[in-house]
Amino acid sequence: MSEPQIQLSIRNVRKSFAAKGGEVPVLDGLTFDIYERDFVSIIGPSGCGKTTVFNIIAGLLDADTGELVYRGVPVDNLRGRIGYMMQKDLLFPWRTVLQNVLLGLTVRGVPEHEALDTAREYLSTFGLSGFEQSYPRTLSGGMRQRVALIRTLIMDPDILLLDEPFSALDYQTRLYLEGVLMEAVETFNKTVILVTHDIDEAVALSKRVVALSGRPTKVKNVHTIDIERSSPVEARSDHRFSDYFHTLCGELDIQTTKKRVKA
Amino acid sequence: MTQVTALSSQEAQSAADPKAGTRSKRARFSFDTGGGRIVLQLASVSAFFLIWEFAAWMGWISEFLVGRPSGIWNVLATRTLDGSIFVDSGYTLYEALLGFVIGTVVGSAAGLAMWYSAFAARLVEPFIVALNSVPKIALAPIVLLWFGTGLVSKVVLVVSMTALVALIAAYQAAKDADKDLQSLMRSMGGTKHQVFYRVIIPSSLPAMIATFRINIGFGLVGAVVGEFISSKRGLGNIVYTASSLYDLNTVWVGLFTLMLVGFFLYHGIDFLERRLLPWKQDVERAHVQL
Repeated sequence: MSEPQIQLSIRNVRKSFAAKGGEVPVLDGLTFDIYERDFVSIIGPSGCGKTTVFNIIAGLLDADTGELVYRGVPVDNLRGRIGYMMQKDLLFPWRTVLQNVLLGLTVRGVPEHEALDTAREYLSTFGLSGFEQSYPRTLSGGMRQRVALIRTLIMDPDILLLDEPFSALDYQTRLYLEGVLMEAVETFNKTVILVTHDIDEAVALSKRVVALSGRPTKVKNVHTIDIERSSPVEARSDHRFSDYFHTLCGELDIQTTKKRVKA
Repeated sequence: MTQVTALSSQEAQSAADPKAGTRSKRARFSFDTGGGRIVLQLASVSAFFLIWEFAAWMGWISEFLVGRPSGIWNVLATRTLDGSIFVDSGYTLYEALLGFVIGTVVGSAAGLAMWYSAFAARLVEPFIVALNSVPKIALAPIVLLWFGTGLVSKVVLVVSMTALVALIAAYQAAKDADKDLQSLMRSMGGTKHQVFYRVIIPSSLPAMIATFRINIGFGLVGAVVGEFISSKRGLGNIVYTASSLYDLNTVWVGLFTLMLVGFFLYHGIDFLERRLLPWKQDVERAHVQL
């Protein structure tokens, strides 16, 4: 592997929230790097502030201290440069599939016919042609999440922030969409930061995994997942897959061996 | 599109399948069709009036105090032929509609605008609650004093009845708008203005339209009460003058016409709703079969 270029540095970010009993520190000096064309998963115990990290990067929250350095330049946040995708598909129910996909381009002020062409192209690439005029509520969960993915990708964001995007889907749909995501990321040369609870998903998809500690949150370890893969399903059959899986379970203090004995 | 329809018809099929067995047992009520329902509805209305007429004819009920369908019919025919019923309906409808539109538009706009400034909203909230707790109908005498006995006073009365309701509904709906959708808009680089236009307004629309339904009723109440107090024309005027003359048949004509006007206004809102909220439609047709 050639020397990786750092795209985004998160440096010593601290954030606390006001609660009844006073300030509750959530992020306690978080530091990690994202490389160009990286695929990083962030795992950690629930409530450790994974989503808070995302909100800070996206500019929906301000960090108390610390800085973000984007391609060598300190920035406040990456608002407008990132694509954000959450567990909820967050499709606008009053907009058709096409209008939902167009949303970001409209916000950005792209001329209408140009935006329309791009949108139709993406929809057909992701097998959603013919559903342009459907409203989200008539689609299945997997289709809705695919529309959300298109809406994210069509903005041509520098970094994709995915916050447990597939966790509400059934396993089959999830595997399928993981494949769609991976292919899209390769095709469009995207950098991805994925927050997930699912260690299996983290290993199958990512090049690197950042394990966070419980609150107040720090980076515990960064693991490089060295698996050659062309699809997430294939990755799961790699002989190193289960080693990574158990290492990461260890990071989260999940007693995998004991569980296996019980089973 | 074809795939969607194919899918939904398939779903409909599978939903119908388990029912197929019970259908023969519980033979589908044969009147439960569009035409069948209308026949039943008309029959029950006719029966009601026939019994009423018969009872009045037999002297079981006092024609003087409750009126009599044949008499009502006569009044209706006269007033229809000379066209006066249309003029009176027109007055009341105009007052109610104009007041409703002004009150609802101004109220909804103000309510949505309160979303812009949480500070301003908190500042005026107690005043709005206080104002809203006054029964607006109690304002009628002052409004009549200030705005005269003509059309304006009725419109003002209706505005006073509808505006605050619309304001509170719109503000509440704007406050309840999905925070995640707003965040998404922001993360896409959207301005506060864009969030307002693309998230707040469309997501508040269903609640606002639900308020239209309440307000259109208030519109008629305001217009009629205004006419009760002082007026030269209008359905409220007919009802009020006729009842002070113990002319019950004319009172009924006024009331039934009001009912009809209200009925059409309600369906007007229905139509508006289907137009403004196409995304709400498909699913609402489905009923849970029990």
